[in-house]
Amino acid sequence: MTIDATQATGDGYAIRLDGVTKRFGKHTAVDNFDFQVPRGVICGLLGPNGSGKTTSIRMIMGILHPDEGSVSLFGDDPDRTRREKVGYLPEERGVYKKMRCLELITFLAEIRGVPRSVGRRRGGEWLDRLGLEGWADKKVEDLSKGMQQKIQFIGTVIHEPELLILDEPFSGLDPINQDVLEEIVREFQARGTTIVFSTHLMDQAERLCERVCLISNARKVLDADLKELKAAERKGVVAVEFEGPDEWLEGPEVARVDPVNGGLHLILREGADHQQILRRGLDAGVRFLRFDLVEPRLHEIFVRHAGAEAATDAGVPASVGGER
Amino acid sequence: MMWTNVRAVIRREYMQRVRSKWFVASTVLAPVFVIGLTGVPVYFAQQGDEAERTMAVVDGTGVLYDRLAPRLEEAGYDVREQRWHSDVVTELRQAAEDGVLGGFIMVDELTLETGEAILYTTTRPNPIRQVTLRSAVSRAALEFQLEQQDVDAEALLSGGELRIEMLSETVSGADDPQFFVAYMGSFLLYMVILIYAIAVMRATLEEKTNRIVEVIISSMEPWHLMLGKIVGVGAVSMTQMLIWLLVGGVAFASGLPMLIAAQPELAELDALREVLPGLGMTALFVGFFVFGFFMYSGLYAAVGAMCNSDEEAQQAQFPVLLLLVVPIVMVVGVIENPSTSLSTGLSLFPLFTPILMWARVAGGGAPAAEVALSFVLMFLATLAIAWVAGRIYKVGILMAGKRPTVPELWRWIREA
Repeated sequence: MTIDATQATGDGYAIRLDGVTKRFGKHTAVDNFDFQVPRGVICGLLGPNGSGKTTSIRMIMGILHPDEGSVSLFGDDPDRTRREKVGYLPEERGVYKKMRCLELITFLAEIRGVPRSVGRRRGGEWLDRLGLEGWADKKVEDLSKGMQQKIQFIGTVIHEPELLILDEPFSGLDPINQDVLEEIVREFQARGTTIVFSTHLMDQAERLCERVCLISNARKVLDADLKELKAAERKGVVAVEFEGPDEWLEGPEVARVDPVNGGLHLILREGADHQQILRRGLDAGVRFLRFDLVEPRLHEIFVRHAGAEAATDAGVPASVGGER
Repeated sequence: MMWTNVRAVIRREYMQRVRSKWFVASTVLAPVFVIGLTGVPVYFAQQGDEAERTMAVVDGTGVLYDRLAPRLEEAGYDVREQRWHSDVVTELRQAAEDGVLGGFIMVDELTLETGEAILYTTTRPNPIRQVTLRSAVSRAALEFQLEQQDVDAEALLSGGELRIEMLSETVSGADDPQFFVAYMGSFLLYMVILIYAIAVMRATLEEKTNRIVEVIISSMEPWHLMLGKIVGVGAVSMTQMLIWLLVGGVAFASGLPMLIAAQPELAELDALREVLPGLGMTALFVGFFVFGFFMYSGLYAAVGAMCNSDEEAQQAQFPVLLLLVVPIVMVVGVIENPSTSLSTGLSLFPLFTPILMWARVAGGGAPAAEVALSFVLMFLATLAIAWVAGRIYKVGILMAGKRPTVPELWRWIREA
């Protein structure tokens, strides 16, 4: 099922993939992928490992070329716009270990067409901002992994791109720095930057994204505005807290039960009526503390559309980490 | 604008390398080593006692002293004549023990006939000094004998002269076959080309294995990156050679006379002066290096791009290395037979040209037209290699997994 809530037209898209397919030998990594990201939107690219997220991102970045279909950025040939307009943080992070931090940042700015003096100044500001003042002249190899990741992030945004593509930007960061990064991403979005990031952290995607695109097994499963998606999927989840027996939970309407925040989320099958469940519970003599039709969490939506198996593959345990 | 990123890569490559410990060490230590090699003997020689270098000559013939003295002086001795008398040995022995005299040589009629002489000395002279002294004595005797025959003893003793008349056209200024320059130059070319081409391979491999290449390739064309790296490393090599050349020139111009002054028996080193290449030859050397470096660094960049680890690259570079080793194996043959059609043909094969054409030119056996042709061919080969290597690089640099087979490589080249 595809829900496309975008009204934007042609060049209103920062990214547009049309029927993109990529095969590696006999394996199809990305299959007939249509994907549009309107300008100024922050979009999450979600899916299990091996579902084709990184391959898609690499095609957007011109690192891989699609076997079929086309990629355009800002309604233009990507090769022309990519260098100056796009900031890319790959999944596999690499640095020149022997370089000094500020030099590396300046170099990354320069190859994107930013003059050295400007690159140096901005780089210095970013180092201060991310708490790395005093590290400018240290070699990158002397930094901790987390610090190196910050340097890489600075290198990604140093040319003030209009489009940020971040492949698993939060992995490897401690919670504090995840928050710092999240805040910066929001800032960029407030400035009108289009942001696409892949993640397996559904909660993070839920907090940050306006749009989500779910991929599973090389195919797009969902691509929609998150708010509209949640509203449309609202009927599907009931949050319950109760005292008494629990056999009544099993029934034809309930696809799955997830423990969430001390209560349970009942994920309903399509077309199921929650009233039936409530009645069965009352008949069983259960005393309800809460019976609440909730917005499904992104994870649940994902499971609903891609199947539980795919969600587990994504490294997303059935239910971990609460909502904020 | 399009080239700002290439410039950035060149600058980065250059600055990182020039500031590295390796560069500083190899650039500074090599000349220090050479200077040390020449300077240390000077130092030791100057430590020698004045008295030790005072040599008395006891001439029982009356004709040898005048011929022997200049030769000994040339070898660094202060010479004084001592008349023969019955107690002369005792007297001089005493002088030597008192430290006024280093030693004394006794020559007599027998010396004139057989070159035999006796050296009395407190310290045993080193082998070089022994040879110097022996030849001084025998030459003095020989000179006397030759003069008796009324011939030009000086000309004969200085080794005569062999004038060479070439029957075919050769490069002007190189009509004196110089095995030393030809061989050393070829070997030097082999070394510097290999060292710096491998540096390009390692740099490529490093970028690939640590994955920064994804970020860079998303900002620039792969072949821009390759070009930047090659030019950057090339600039480092030129810097290093320039430093060596300057230091070497200064050391040679000022150091050698100092050395010879202190260690006169090394005077023959002065002949190096005639053997060392002039400006034209130096320019030719640089020309061969530049083209050799561009051709081989292109090949090595491609090797680096298709591998995923040092071990893999070690194996994959073998065919390329072979292209450098083959000419170095053949270089002696080519220097000795510079004009055969085999030598000509081999030296015109662009990948062999830097080493073999240099050997022929320096050895004095290459017509100017062939040298010019070889440069044209190297230029074309450089373009061809850049095209092929660029394609392999473009595909390989982003490729993980196993090394490509030859058919796969061929497909990369065709399809890239």
